[in-house]
Parts: sequence; C-alpha cells; structure tokens
Amino acid sequence: MASVGSRRTMIGLATLAGLIVLWFLLTTVTGLVTGARFPSPSEFWTSLTQISGRGYAGASLATHALHSLKLVAMGFSFAVLTGIPLGLWMGWSRRVEAFVNPIFLIIRPIPPLAWIPLAILWLGLGDAAKVMVIWFSAFVPSVINAFTGVRNIERPVIEAMQMLGTPRWRMIREVIVPAASPMIFTGLRLSLQASWTTLVAAELVGALVGVGFVLNMAQQDIYPGMILVGMITVGILGWATTMLLGWAERRALAWNVAARD
Amino acid sequence: MTGRPLSSLETVLLGLAGLCAFVGLWTLLSVTGIVPRQFLPTPLDVATRMIQLLSSPFAGATLPMHLASSFQRYAYGVVLAALIGVPLGLLMGWFRLLDDIVTPIFDGLRFIAPIAWVPFAALWFGTGIGGPVMIIFAGAFPPCLINAYRGARFVEPRLIEAGRMLGTPNARMILEVLLPAAVPSIIAGLRVSAGLGWQSLVGAELIVAAAGVGFMMVQAQGSVQTATVMVGMVAIGLVGMLIDVLLRQGEGWLRRRRGLEA
Amino acid sequence: MGSISFRKVDKVFGSSSGGVKALDDINLEIADKEFVAIVGPSGCGKTTCLRMVAGFEAASSGEVLVNGKAVTEPGPDRAVVFQQFALFPWKTVRENIELGLRNKNLPAPKRDELIAGALKLMSLESHANAFPHQLSGGMQQRVAIARAYVLDPVVLLMDEPFGALDAQTRVVMQEELVRLARRNPRTVLFITHAVEEAVYLADRVAIMTRRPGRIKEVLDIKTIRETENWDSHSKIEDVMDLESFVHLRTHIWKSLREEKGFKDV
Repeated sequence: MASVGSRRTMIGLATLAGLIVLWFLLTTVTGLVTGARFPSPSEFWTSLTQISGRGYAGASLATHALHSLKLVAMGFSFAVLTGIPLGLWMGWSRRVEAFVNPIFLIIRPIPPLAWIPLAILWLGLGDAAKVMVIWFSAFVPSVINAFTGVRNIERPVIEAMQMLGTPRWRMIREVIVPAASPMIFTGLRLSLQASWTTLVAAELVGALVGVGFVLNMAQQDIYPGMILVGMITVGILGWATTMLLGWAERRALAWNVAARD
Repeated sequence: MTGRPLSSLETVLLGLAGLCAFVGLWTLLSVTGIVPRQFLPTPLDVATRMIQLLSSPFAGATLPMHLASSFQRYAYGVVLAALIGVPLGLLMGWFRLLDDIVTPIFDGLRFIAPIAWVPFAALWFGTGIGGPVMIIFAGAFPPCLINAYRGARFVEPRLIEAGRMLGTPNARMILEVLLPAAVPSIIAGLRVSAGLGWQSLVGAELIVAAAGVGFMMVQAQGSVQTATVMVGMVAIGLVGMLIDVLLRQGEGWLRRRRGLEA
Repeated sequence: MGSISFRKVDKVFGSSSGGVKALDDINLEIADKEFVAIVGPSGCGKTTCLRMVAGFEAASSGEVLVNGKAVTEPGPDRAVVFQQFALFPWKTVRENIELGLRNKNLPAPKRDELIAGALKLMSLESHANAFPHQLSGGMQQRVAIARAYVLDPVVLLMDEPFGALDAQTRVVMQEELVRLARRNPRTVLFITHAVEEAVYLADRVAIMTRRPGRIKEVLDIKTIRETENWDSHSKIEDVMDLESFVHLRTHIWKSLREEKGFKDV
C-alpha cells in the first residue's frame, strides 16, 4: 500500500511539474497564448504581489479573503443552526414532515443562485443580501440530510431508547442527534460547498469587497493575472474550510466504524 | 418515528395546511404592506405576470424564448460534459497511469466553484454562447467523470478476471465489459450532472449572458420588477424539476431493461 | 409481581379489511419468576407476543397484562434484549449500561455500584470503556443483557437474543444465561426458533402454530429438569445427551413439523 501511495504522489508531482512547464511554454516561451487570454507565470506573479501588497479593487488580498470567509461563516452557521433542527424535527415527527413538505417541494427546485436577484432587490448590494442567499443555499442540504439521518436510525435503537425510559430531552441529545450525525455531516459538507459557490456568484453579481468582487474587477479590467489569483484564492479558501470540517467530522464520528470502511 | 405512519388523508390535509399557511402568510405580508408590494408581490401577481410573459417580451424576448435560449446552452454544456467526462472516466478506471495523472489535477480544481470560471469565460467568449456553455460544462463535468470512473474501477473483479481469461484485448474490454458494467453508475452520474448543470446555468446567465432566463432576472432586478424576478425563479425551478423527473424515468426504464429493478 | 397474562389476544397488521392476522386467540399465563420460552416457525407471531408485553405493539383485541395491569408503553420494568443488540454505538459499554439508570434518576454512587456489579456479572470489567464496534457479537450481547439486568426489571424480555451469534458463542451464552437465571431468578419471556435452546433454558415451553399464530401446546420442562437433575451437569452437551432432554426436544420438533411450512432453520 505504501508503495502505491508514493507512486501516486510521484506521478502527481510529475504532472504538476509538467503542467507548470507547459504553462511556461504556452505563454512566455512561444506566445501561443497571449496575455489577454491567460496570464503567463510572470503576469500571475505580478498580480499576486500587487494584491498582497498594494492591494487591488480597494483592499489587500487578505482583506478580501477574510471578508468572503466571514460571509460564508455567517451564512453557513445560520443555515446549519436553522436547518438541522428543522430536519431532525421533520424526521422525528411525521406530522411536521407532512406539514412542511409541500413548502419544501416548492422551494427546493429553485437553484440557490436564482435567489440572488431577489436578494439584491430586497437587501441591496451589501453583506446582508449575500448572507441571505448563502443561508438559503446551505439550508436545504442541512435539512434534507438531518431528516434522512433521523429516518435511517434503526428501529431497535429507537425501541431500546424507549424501553430504557429515556426522557424527551435526553432522547434528542444522547440518541437521536448522535445517531443522525454521520448523515448530518454529509449535509454539512454539501452546505459548505453550496455556501462557497453562492458567495462567489453573489459577489460576482454585485459587491464592493471580497474575492468574487476581485474576480469581477479583474474581468472588467481585462487583467487575467488577477483573475487567476482570485480563482486560486477561492480554491484555497474552499479547501481550507473543507479540511476544517473534515477534522471536526473525524473527531465527532470517531465511534463510527462503518464510515471508515 | 413517533408510532405509526400517517394515513393518506392526514398527510394530504397537513400538506394542504402547510401550503395554505405559506401562501397565506406571503399574501398577508404583501397585501397589508408590511413588506412593500413592490418588493413582495402577491402570489397572484406572480402568476399573472407569468401568464403575461408567455406572450409579451421582457428584456428582449418572451419567457418561452428566454427558456429556449437557456436550454440550448444548457444542452450544449451537459452533452459536452458527458461526451468528454464519461469516456475519460472509463479510461481512467482502466488505465491506472491515466488515473494517477488526472486525479490530482481534478482534486486540485475541485475546490474552485464552477462559477469562479465566469471571469475567464467572459474574457474568452464575451456574452456569446461560449461563456455559459463553459460554466455549465464546469458544473456538469465532475459527476460524469467521477461516476464513470467509479463504475469502471469498481466492476466486480470476477468479471474482469473472466474477460482476461478469455483473452480480451484492452479496447474490447473497455467497450464490452467495463462500459456495460458501469452503465448504472454512469446514468446516475448523468442525472446529477444534469442537475448541477442547470444550477450552474443560472449562475452563468446572471453574469455573462445577453438572453436566457437568468439574464431576464437580472434585468428585472435592475428595474425593480420583482414579479418578473419571481417568475424567473419559478420557471427555472419548474424546468429543473421536469428535467430531473424525465431523467429519473429514463434511469428507471434502463434499469428495468437490464433487470436491476423489478 | 412479575406475572404476564395474555387473554384472548388477537393481532391484525394492516387495515381492518385485507389485513394480516398474525395472532389468533392467544391465552397464556406466566407466573412471577417463571422462565417461559415460545418456539414456533418463522413468521408465526412469537416475536409479536413479546413486543406486546414490551409495549411496542398493541393487541388488536384481548388484553396483555403485566402484574395485572394493562401494558401501554415501553419502560424499564419490562427490559428488552434485542436480537440485533441495539447498543448505542457512540456510547462506551459503561455509558450504554448507565443510560437506563440515569433515566431513573439514581445518584452517581448508586449507579457506579450497580454498573460495577453488572460488569462483573457479565465478565465485562476490562471492556468498560470500549465502544461496541470494538467488541465481538457475543460481548455486545453481554452488554445488552447487562444493560437490561442492571435495571432490576420485573420482567425480562429476550427476543431471539442469541440469533445473531455464531454457534460456539451461542452455546457459551446459553450456559451463562442458565447460571444467571438460577442465581437471580425473575420472570423471563424468551423467544427462539431453536428448540434445544428453549428446552435447555426454560421452565415451560409454549409451542406456536404457523400464522395466524395460536398456542398449540405448553410443555412443562421444570419438573423433568429437577427430577432428572439437569443442573448437576455444568456443560450443555452433557445435558443435551440426557434421554429426558432428547425426549422433550423430539416431542417439540414433531409438533413443529406438523405445522406445514416449518423449516429447520
């Protein structure tokens, strides 16, 4: 197994090196791809140093990135804190499910990004509109997965809990939530993904700061080097937050052998 | 969970109650002016506007025409994603080296939301059709690739061994063993891909289009025509649902044909 | 005390028209501290009987009484040991056993004392802080039994508790259960399709027909067991070799075989 892993790493690194060489060749060396289409490595570097230092589109890269991160954190948190309880409740009570389901069926097919124009209409171009749309897009996966998580709890576990005379609050805290947590975490991963996609889109449509705004400005200025910087930043932010979630998941689900297999 | 499941009557009644509560609350907020009607038209306003838009144009075209433009780009993007993603996934499933090369690239790009490709799309294609198609492709491609890959990689080992024992050359192995075995996974991937593609379409059209439903919504937002914006949302939702339903039917039909379902 | 009564119990699943009749006129009286096993073909409804005493199902007609009172809901006075163990995978062995005690609002020192006793009884002391997935099937079922026992229930309900275990483990568990039952007797309702298990463990064995289930016959084991002094043999294979045992077992087999559709599982 170790040799397979390291072979993969070797090939991965070789590919990376190859791509970078290709990049150089296509842009700087042969000029096949001109600056207006895709930046050369040096153009990329220039953009990077610019935004890290002097700043671009009104602020430094750190400021833009942190602002976007803040919005995602807020939207994601609201979505999770409202969605999971609702999903758990719907999963537990068939009445609640029957009541809420039609509303869900109407809201669900609307792609999260389709809420952006409405959000801007209602809340303007500021942070509030973005947080609202992020909340919307992250809300649905959280509900659905929490719901499924509860529904998938095996009957004997529920019956054992009842047999032991467990009071309501303890039922939820010590049995329902832990039992549903593997699916809840799956929902969290989807919610996080949706949050980032929505944030970038919302900032592209209209913003005054943030990575999406950087992308937008760079596109209007016809500044490919900066577009690339923006895209890579988005990727890194997405990766970092996903890793963080993965770490939390591993800690919370240490007892769950099934997931490891 | 709590005891026995509900009777159909109870389910329908509760559902209607929920629906009425939703629509009622909405209408109430709008009619009483708690939220200005300009920003929250009543459900009836939205329905009326939808009927209007079926024949009278807004932002350059009627609703059906906008939908047609959107769908055209969508179709191109998804078909392209499938034509490249599925074969590539199958090949990756068979040729380890290819897998080792492509997977790291893929993993690296995975964290960049498809929508982040919009600026490059705008730069390369302006407001032409290439822009949205590219974004849709970016959204629809991963599931096609991943599902074809998984379908091929995780084929029942006995089938591969049987193929080898019969002296099957690579090309035939892929076409006559891997591909059929991977079909269920591929179909599932196509369905997810279609869904993601439709979602990416919306995002793309909000920014880099000159026609289509997303474009219509942005224009409506600019001139504070909230009802039109909502019509757009509903239309997108309905079409998305339709696509999913049709694909599920197709998936079911195919699975039945292959005896995977009763 | 811990008596169980089934009086003219019927059970129908599904709608009143076109439903499935699972149980037909079940009448059975189980005395306090009596160990009764119900055997029968698959699907005969024997598990349903247990579930009605547990409070997970209600009788369609007739009464199910524990201690003379009708059963309305599940509770720790009628502890259940499930075939699938039903342990909480995110809780350690100790925590699994402790939950029922916490629900009874017992103070911590009392709980610790009871848990220590249960761990010792089921030979689980060294695994107190393990998670279920780290234990074998047999050990997990021991935890489930400990969890039930620690509640000091008036009635112990065991639903094919050894069904998910391999043959060797099953035998060990049967021997342990007998030791436990003799030392710490209480009312037990034990469901199984394994005839030998029923004869070995129980005071009386009720034989059910296939669906709709009826009680066909009730055999008294205890008298024979005491007369023939089965308990003087500590190993199960020695008991199963005895003529009196074989006779009882064969009788039940023949009775079950008469039920068309009976398969030797």
